[in-house]
Amino acid sequence: MRSLRIVADLLQTGSAREIDAALLARRRWITTTFVVLGILILFVAAGVTTPVFLTFQNLLVVIRNASITGIIALGMSYVTISGNLFALSAEELSILSACIFGWLLRAKFGLATSLLVTLVGAGCGGAVQGGIIALGADPIITTLAFGGFFRGVASVVSGNQNILLGTHAAQWLGTGRPLGVPTQSWAFVILTLLAWFVLQKTRIGRLVVLTGANRAAATAAALRVGQGALIGMVLLGVCCGIAGISAPAQFGYAVANLYQGLNFDVIAAILVGGIALRGGQGSPIQAALGAIFISLLENFMLLHDFTTGFRTTVVGALVAAATCLFHVLQRSRA
Amino acid sequence: MDNNPTAAGAVVLRMRGIVKRYAAVAALQGVDFTLLRGEVMALLGENGAGKSTLVKILAGLERPDAGTIEINGQVIRLRTPTHSLQAGVAYVTQELSIVAPLSVAENICLGGGGRSAIWTSRQLADQVRPFLALVGLDKIDPTTPAGSLSVAQQQLVEIARLLSRNARILILDEPTAALSDAEIEKVKLVVRNLAAEGRSIIYVTHRLGEVFEIADRVTIFRNGRSFEPVRVAGLDIDELIEHLLGRRLEQMFPPRSAGFGPVLLSLHDVVAPGLVKPVSLDLHEGEIFCLAGQLGSGANAVVRAIAGVVPRDAGSITLRTTPQRPRSVRDAISVKIGYCSDDRKRDGIFAVRNLYENLTAPALRRITVAGLLSRKREVAISTKLAQLFEIAADRLGSSAGKLSGGNQQKVALGKWLAIEPSVLLVEEPTRGVDVGARAEIYRHLRTLANRGLAIMVVSSDNQEVLGLADTVATFFRGRLVRIAGANTLKAEELFRDVTHPGDAAAGGIT
Repeated sequence: MRSLRIVADLLQTGSAREIDAALLARRRWITTTFVVLGILILFVAAGVTTPVFLTFQNLLVVIRNASITGIIALGMSYVTISGNLFALSAEELSILSACIFGWLLRAKFGLATSLLVTLVGAGCGGAVQGGIIALGADPIITTLAFGGFFRGVASVVSGNQNILLGTHAAQWLGTGRPLGVPTQSWAFVILTLLAWFVLQKTRIGRLVVLTGANRAAATAAALRVGQGALIGMVLLGVCCGIAGISAPAQFGYAVANLYQGLNFDVIAAILVGGIALRGGQGSPIQAALGAIFISLLENFMLLHDFTTGFRTTVVGALVAAATCLFHVLQRSRA
Repeated sequence: MDNNPTAAGAVVLRMRGIVKRYAAVAALQGVDFTLLRGEVMALLGENGAGKSTLVKILAGLERPDAGTIEINGQVIRLRTPTHSLQAGVAYVTQELSIVAPLSVAENICLGGGGRSAIWTSRQLADQVRPFLALVGLDKIDPTTPAGSLSVAQQQLVEIARLLSRNARILILDEPTAALSDAEIEKVKLVVRNLAAEGRSIIYVTHRLGEVFEIADRVTIFRNGRSFEPVRVAGLDIDELIEHLLGRRLEQMFPPRSAGFGPVLLSLHDVVAPGLVKPVSLDLHEGEIFCLAGQLGSGANAVVRAIAGVVPRDAGSITLRTTPQRPRSVRDAISVKIGYCSDDRKRDGIFAVRNLYENLTAPALRRITVAGLLSRKREVAISTKLAQLFEIAADRLGSSAGKLSGGNQQKVALGKWLAIEPSVLLVEEPTRGVDVGARAEIYRHLRTLANRGLAIMVVSSDNQEVLGLADTVATFFRGRLVRIAGANTLKAEELFRDVTHPGDAAAGGIT
């Protein structure tokens, strides 16, 4: 903690007496810089130590691995920025979406219908939770409860068996490579830009930000704060739906034990990306960078034959360190 | 003599050259302060003069940027509240930290440590009795739940807890703000007794009367500086006021308007939570109407009912000719009534967002086209509002939380102009605002009124009421006492109305 404090102090030296605008811009820049710096360091380290790392093939793997976590982290960033911490049901809603998508395709519904029903369903899954949170329920408890519910429904839908799609209709969605880049990675990049645009440039985005920045002040300004919570959860739901479609489309079957540990990975991406937990600050881009960083780290460790236990330990330690660091930064900002 | 802490009149606390800055604002600019053994020292000063910052530094809640603190002749660093308490400094805040379900004795021993792991409630009661006696609560059974006591008694229990940790310097921060007259007397007596016992008391207050009744000396704060302490005996109240304000009232307040327009907002027999008797009054275009009253007077209930923050129980509110039934802030805003609460940190500003976003928050629809934000409109509106309130344009990009209290207040107020209101309701417009910014805010409010805006201000600051208002309505314990033109109302009348009007006044003119 002490050394973190010193780092934080060092980073601020010289800026303490400057006018606020420059000071704040610099600190906001710092939060994003850490994750970008981390990505660059990993690149160099991995490139030097492992020849395989910098191959195009491996980088595509990295981005694809980041994309599922990343897409959901985009939705999650809205939840966090709207001042509702995290939804602990993202993994479960993704599983449920996968099972529903698989079930629909197996039952010979068309691809378009299956996609639409899955995405709308996932959005509704988010909306129900968002509605309850908007009424004042605790977001963590609410989503924890719904996570259990979603997982249960997914088990029932799949009968705890692999749901074989029995069709190649969705195959392109999972394995296609327009311009040589996997579809999931395309989706990740496009959704990142879209999420950034909506938050920065639309009234809905501003509503989410202001609700998260100060709920009481937003209420006093006659903003519909309930909508802020709702929008975040609906978008997260749709992101879970998109992520949920990806795996069945790629592997040709859906099953209720996909996406293990996804909740943690998504939260890790948010924290490592440096999005403020108290809401009202941050950008989906930070969440995306956080996801890429974690994916790179995982890949790096995999190439170096780190054991699963060790990999988990490192990522866990990283999240803990990031949380401490940003806490210190934010305290000095307050 | 300075180094002998046991002698009466010895210096127990000496602070030298204390500097504390918050971002761009210097809250304390080299303050000196001394406290003698067995004295009651009053701290007086306008909001934002620096007295609460000094007190927080002593309590270990803030760290000074420069300066030294000596307690009993030893230089000491107070990094945390625990440090301060170990050094014998205890801070009694307005927010009590009494645990209601625990007994009085348990509350006093709370967090004290140093006792054996096993105790009986009788042992505990015996231990705390001497401390209860010190604060005049010897008649209270130590085993009763603390929650069943009155607020004043709870405050005394809190003091007893600090005494049990051997506090030699007690800081009381507006201890009488929420108390009734009889309770105030009790607290004052305890303060005198503690001083007679050889403890030193720092007494922060806004009430000049209390200073004369209770303090031995007074230190005045102004604009982050302190003056030499003066003995209260033989002090002249006018002199004191002049010292406090540091400038003449005429300079502080803009001239009143020559006359105002037709009635804009009319209240007839309005009853709302916090009001005991129905209230009727008329607000004119271009008028600044002050509702004066202390905490719990019901003055804020009136504006809150108009703003739709609290429901109205009876009566009618008419805007121009249209009857209003505001059920929410949204309803009030839709008819161009803006409401600025007295707690800007809680619901007045978005501290982590920049001023563009703050100033346009109530009028998001005005800056969006088909759901997309128009940067051009956002900049145009916020620049205009910033000019109106003299907020530097290069500050618009910085986050609101980084501004000084005065600028924050301007943002909290200014954002309501984004809805182009016809009525502006403001509670405590200058709370936590330094003197300079105060004068500015008064001037801006007057400018707005001169443009035809009707402004209703709730204030517990009598100077402000007299200087700012065209018309004054005084409130006391849920009753409207009187409505008078500000230039016909005498300061003594106002003071009496809001503190202890006679029964005739309180019951008669409503």
